[in-house]
Amino acid sequence: MTTQPVARPQPPSPTAKRVATAIFALIVVGAAVTVDLRIDRLTDLPVRLWDIGVRMFSDLDFDYLPTAFGLMIESIQIAWLGTIIGALLSLPLAFFGAKNITSGVVSNVVRLVLNAIRAIPEILLAVVIFIPMVGVGAYAGTLAIGIHSIGTLGKLSAEVIEGIDTGPVEAARATGGRPLQVQRWGVLPQVLPEIVAFWLYRFEINVRASAILGVVGAGGIGEALVQSLVYRRYDRAGMAIIVVIVVTILIDLVSGWARRRIIAGGSTGPRADDAIEEPTFAATGAGRIDTGIG
Amino acid sequence: MTAGAVSAGQRPAKPRPSIVAPLAVVAFLAITWWAASDELGIGFDVFELLTNLTRGASILAEFVPPDWAFLDRTWAPLLETFQMAVIASVIGCGLALPISFLASRVTSPNAFVYLLDRGILSVVRALPDILYALVFVAALGIGPLPGILALILFNIGVVAKLLSETVDAVDPGPIEAARASGGDRVQTVRWAVLPQVLPNYVAYSLYVFELNIRASAVIGIVGAGGIGNLINEQRRFFNYDNLAVVIVAIFVVVILIELGSLWLRRRLV
Repeated sequence: MTTQPVARPQPPSPTAKRVATAIFALIVVGAAVTVDLRIDRLTDLPVRLWDIGVRMFSDLDFDYLPTAFGLMIESIQIAWLGTIIGALLSLPLAFFGAKNITSGVVSNVVRLVLNAIRAIPEILLAVVIFIPMVGVGAYAGTLAIGIHSIGTLGKLSAEVIEGIDTGPVEAARATGGRPLQVQRWGVLPQVLPEIVAFWLYRFEINVRASAILGVVGAGGIGEALVQSLVYRRYDRAGMAIIVVIVVTILIDLVSGWARRRIIAGGSTGPRADDAIEEPTFAATGAGRIDTGIG
Repeated sequence: MTAGAVSAGQRPAKPRPSIVAPLAVVAFLAITWWAASDELGIGFDVFELLTNLTRGASILAEFVPPDWAFLDRTWAPLLETFQMAVIASVIGCGLALPISFLASRVTSPNAFVYLLDRGILSVVRALPDILYALVFVAALGIGPLPGILALILFNIGVVAKLLSETVDAVDPGPIEAARASGGDRVQTVRWAVLPQVLPNYVAYSLYVFELNIRASAVIGIVGAGGIGNLINEQRRFFNYDNLAVVIVAIFVVVILIELGSLWLRRRLV
């Protein structure tokens, strides 16, 4: 048996790669050259940042602590009520958005709406819709957080509903349950623990969001933060930042404990906990992203 | 054993009613009352809210019709937003690459570097992008430069977290092969780890680029350049018909960029 020499496959043409690289480089260089940076300011940056840092944290204004703490409490209240609004409105939407509950058309439309809501950061909602509607203050922040939360909560809850065990649903139907009763007794008990855990998780994210919403006048500690930075009261800004970080971490700890308790229920294993710990890719968004802006 | 003890017709004993659930409900109601009350909370009142909303509807009506002539003034800030997002994504993702290798158990040289890097990253992620923007604006003055710096930090936080988790989960086979053939640490990362995580890295980078377009609408509100600046300017003068144009423009750009990056991701990954 003679083995035929097998022809090597042609290496993929380098032209496409080169063109893509060139376009990419052109965009990046073009952006860097044309944007109005006044890059010389960068030379002062380390000195200035160090200066601000020292002034923030070397001589903290402890007289300001009660005020900052009170404002942070307001941020927490905004986050709590906003999360309730988001939870109440997202739950029915989640049922309509689940492909195994409604028809494909309905669920697709609902998903589209949820995605659109998710795409608008809460700060923009506050600035553009709720501050004009209800005026500056905690109301606007609460509504902005509530509406924005619908997007993520609705999407995550719908995904939980899509993953249910069909047995209880069939049982509820077989015993003559009407459609609403089937949802109430066949679906809801299965999904509620995980969905409540998502609500708590969203509350943690919303605390971060409401801590900065005050920047645009929507209540909470953000306004104090921006004012103290604008008027160069760095001692107060430092105090406010410390309060935000410490309180946020404390809330994360308590809420995280409650979430694990709800999911595990003291009996079963850590089933869906992992799923809650890392929806960051879709959720931040703010980020904190979602954090931040998500 | 216990299962056998239950004979036919004999029901198992009912579990004792748990005290946890009623306690949780009470705690929930208490916190809600506290948060919504007039004296202790923000004074949240559903009926007042509804009257406010109906009154606010007339203000919302000022958004329509949008004043499309204003569209001409959105191009320059939108371009600036795009430029900021490009620069911040390239620099942020570039810096995030070595940072994520140091933040993964698989590729980090020692426990000290690993823990230090992780610690710094979690602090970077804990602070919101708008706070970075505020601090950089305080340090440098207004303009796109403080915005870009804030976005870079934000991007490092997001990409390094996602990528270091991806590196944690790579197939160890190629790493062993690289070590066995005498590769040093950098060579191992370059030839055994990087090729495995490259598609994810590209996907994460495109993802933060999208986030940056949206984020720059927000950080511009505090003076960090881009389209957010325009939003701030127009809302101060209550020009809602102009504001409507800006919002529509942002929305269209965000959707276009998302579609473009979806197409790119499909081609590349």
